[in-house]
Amino acid sequence: MKRIWLLGLVLLLVLAGCTNSETAGGGETGQTGDGKVKVTFWHSMGGDAGKALQKIVDNYNAKQTKVFVQTEYQGSYEEALTKLKTVGGTPEAPTLMQVYEVGTKFMSESGYIQPVQNFIDKEQFDLSQLEENIAGYYRIDGKLYSMPFNTSNAVMFYNKDKFRDAGLDPEKPPRTFSEVREAAEKLTDSAKDEKGFAILIYGWFIEQLMANQGADYLDEGNGRKGEPAKTLLNGPEGLRIYQWLDEMNKEGVLGNYGRKWDDIRAAFKAGKVAIYLDSTAATASNVKDSPFEVGTGFLPVPDGVEPKGVIIGGGSIWMMNSVSDEQKAAGWDFLKFVAQPDTQAQWAVDTGYFPITKAAYDEKILQDTYAKYPQYLTAVKQLQSTKLTIATQGALMSVFPEARAEVENSIEKLYGGADAQKVLDETAEKINKLLADHKKVSK
Amino acid sequence: MKRSLRSFGTGMMFVGPSLFLMIVFVFYPILKTIYFSLYLTDPRGVPVQFVGAENYVQLLASDSFRLSMKSTFLFVLYTVPTSILLALFLAVLANERVRGVEFFRIIFSSSLGVSVAAGSTIWLFLFHPSIGLFNHILKTLGTAPIQWLTSPDWALVSIALTTVWMSVGFNFIVLLGGLQNISEELYESAKIDGAGYWVNLFRITLPLLSPTLFFVTVVTVIHSFQSFGQIDILTKGGPAESTNLIVYSIYRDAFINYKFGTASAQAMILFVIILIATYVQFKVGEKRVHYQ
Repeated sequence: MKRIWLLGLVLLLVLAGCTNSETAGGGETGQTGDGKVKVTFWHSMGGDAGKALQKIVDNYNAKQTKVFVQTEYQGSYEEALTKLKTVGGTPEAPTLMQVYEVGTKFMSESGYIQPVQNFIDKEQFDLSQLEENIAGYYRIDGKLYSMPFNTSNAVMFYNKDKFRDAGLDPEKPPRTFSEVREAAEKLTDSAKDEKGFAILIYGWFIEQLMANQGADYLDEGNGRKGEPAKTLLNGPEGLRIYQWLDEMNKEGVLGNYGRKWDDIRAAFKAGKVAIYLDSTAATASNVKDSPFEVGTGFLPVPDGVEPKGVIIGGGSIWMMNSVSDEQKAAGWDFLKFVAQPDTQAQWAVDTGYFPITKAAYDEKILQDTYAKYPQYLTAVKQLQSTKLTIATQGALMSVFPEARAEVENSIEKLYGGADAQKVLDETAEKINKLLADHKKVSK
Repeated sequence: MKRSLRSFGTGMMFVGPSLFLMIVFVFYPILKTIYFSLYLTDPRGVPVQFVGAENYVQLLASDSFRLSMKSTFLFVLYTVPTSILLALFLAVLANERVRGVEFFRIIFSSSLGVSVAAGSTIWLFLFHPSIGLFNHILKTLGTAPIQWLTSPDWALVSIALTTVWMSVGFNFIVLLGGLQNISEELYESAKIDGAGYWVNLFRITLPLLSPTLFFVTVVTVIHSFQSFGQIDILTKGGPAESTNLIVYSIYRDAFINYKFGTASAQAMILFVIILIATYVQFKVGEKRVHYQ
């Protein structure tokens, strides 16, 4: 009998050992071999943007001798955030991490981070040099939580050659929903499977089109005044967007290229779709790689509505609280370098993201690019003409990633023939439930 | 008493190692899953509130979950019979004694050597809406293009197609092995009795192959229920949740939404379904299986 107990005890001990060992693992030493402070930087920039980011980091590492920044690509924003959830708050967490804009609320509540405002106060860092609309997004209760880095907004890209062939003025992109629809009708060629208009199935675009009408996405001041309980997605502004998409879809002038950025971009470059909405981050690649003349235009609005501007998108860089003070200071030094005008100008030229620093617009390299490719300017003008309101500041909620997924499902249902108002109501109900569930567990 | 205790100890020495591994990797996770399925978790995945059966109740009442179950069963229905019949057909062909048959055996089993990720990526390009091969072929034939992965009506079929291609290689090898095990003498005596090709196939080959077929069916059904990689790469559960099969749904809830409670409840439901399916197959299937 004794032996069984003994066996049981051994098993139990081994099991206990298994569960404990994960937390006991060795952390980063915080230093490189040659005595520099090591800053680990997680990011989600693939492709050309990834190379451009590496260029910034290499410049920084070469420029000074105390800090070594190591970049680690962690997949898409969603994937990177998922990874952070497993190591956040432990020594294994990175020093700096790039997080997309809708992760802002989650990060600020996560307990993994420390607001960059602490450093700003300590050093009297001059925040007025940052673009106000951009800093506005990441400021919660007057505190800047993370350093804006790659910011973009949604613009319209169109194929000027196709506009000419269809008898449209290539210098006058459509501005309203009905103008887009009329242009799309003329640009569609069903025999060749060429569509007039397309929009990526991504919740961000719906958020942008709502904000451009001046509509809040959530109650409680877009989630900025308190914990939101309800989404306003199924209001009249949301309905206008869905009806507009629905009509074009039923007419057969709307292309559906799924949820992948690369697929819709490939369709545009291959001439399969004449007008589409994309992030400004695609500007460099669209303008340089397309075998036709590319035009850019403002985000459209419903007829009779004054455009209110856009929410900034993209990402910001967060500082973790679980690393040593030395690493934090080194990380802050890197962040200051990132915000410098020349760094920002080069970054903007390489990608199409905006400079977050106003002075970057005076840099020669950026001015030359804007002169050569006026397509870059549309996005800048659109951002600068945006009035900073609660709507254009953007919504804040912890369950944003899940809510976006619901919106994406709803667009797919709409394209499958479901009724616009019904789809919106169902989706709003699901998002409200997500908000309620979150309230339950976040005490 | 003492003797039986001693023999128990000896027995434990033999089963101990595997029992230990089972406990660590199977029983402990199952218990933990049951535990999680009764809780709500916070965004960091820590269980914070005991809710009893609420996770299960909400799941069964939710449209998304019911749609997920429906797609899962449809998917199993699309993939299992197709891939087994196709593999059987190929195996019977490749079992003929023709010159150069080894070449075809390699070709037919080659999809076994392709990982799910690599295979799915190849199919991703074939299905591409604007520059994919399939739509290009349709266009040259003069037919309208198909939205393989972006239409809710087609996405599940496309995923099923990919899965059939992936599982045919394995099924083919196992079935071919089964065919080669059938004794040559049986065919010889059948020939003396004047049996033709079809009689041979249905009276000798298939009955003697039935244990292998049974094994292949059980394994394919379980694999089919557990499909994940191709969905993650091709559709991520979309469009409109039409390919949100149960395992993908579990993954989404657990590792993207960090709702371990709901995810664990779904995992338990999947466990019960596979348990029942396998039990039924053993009860029904075994009667029809002919062991030598």
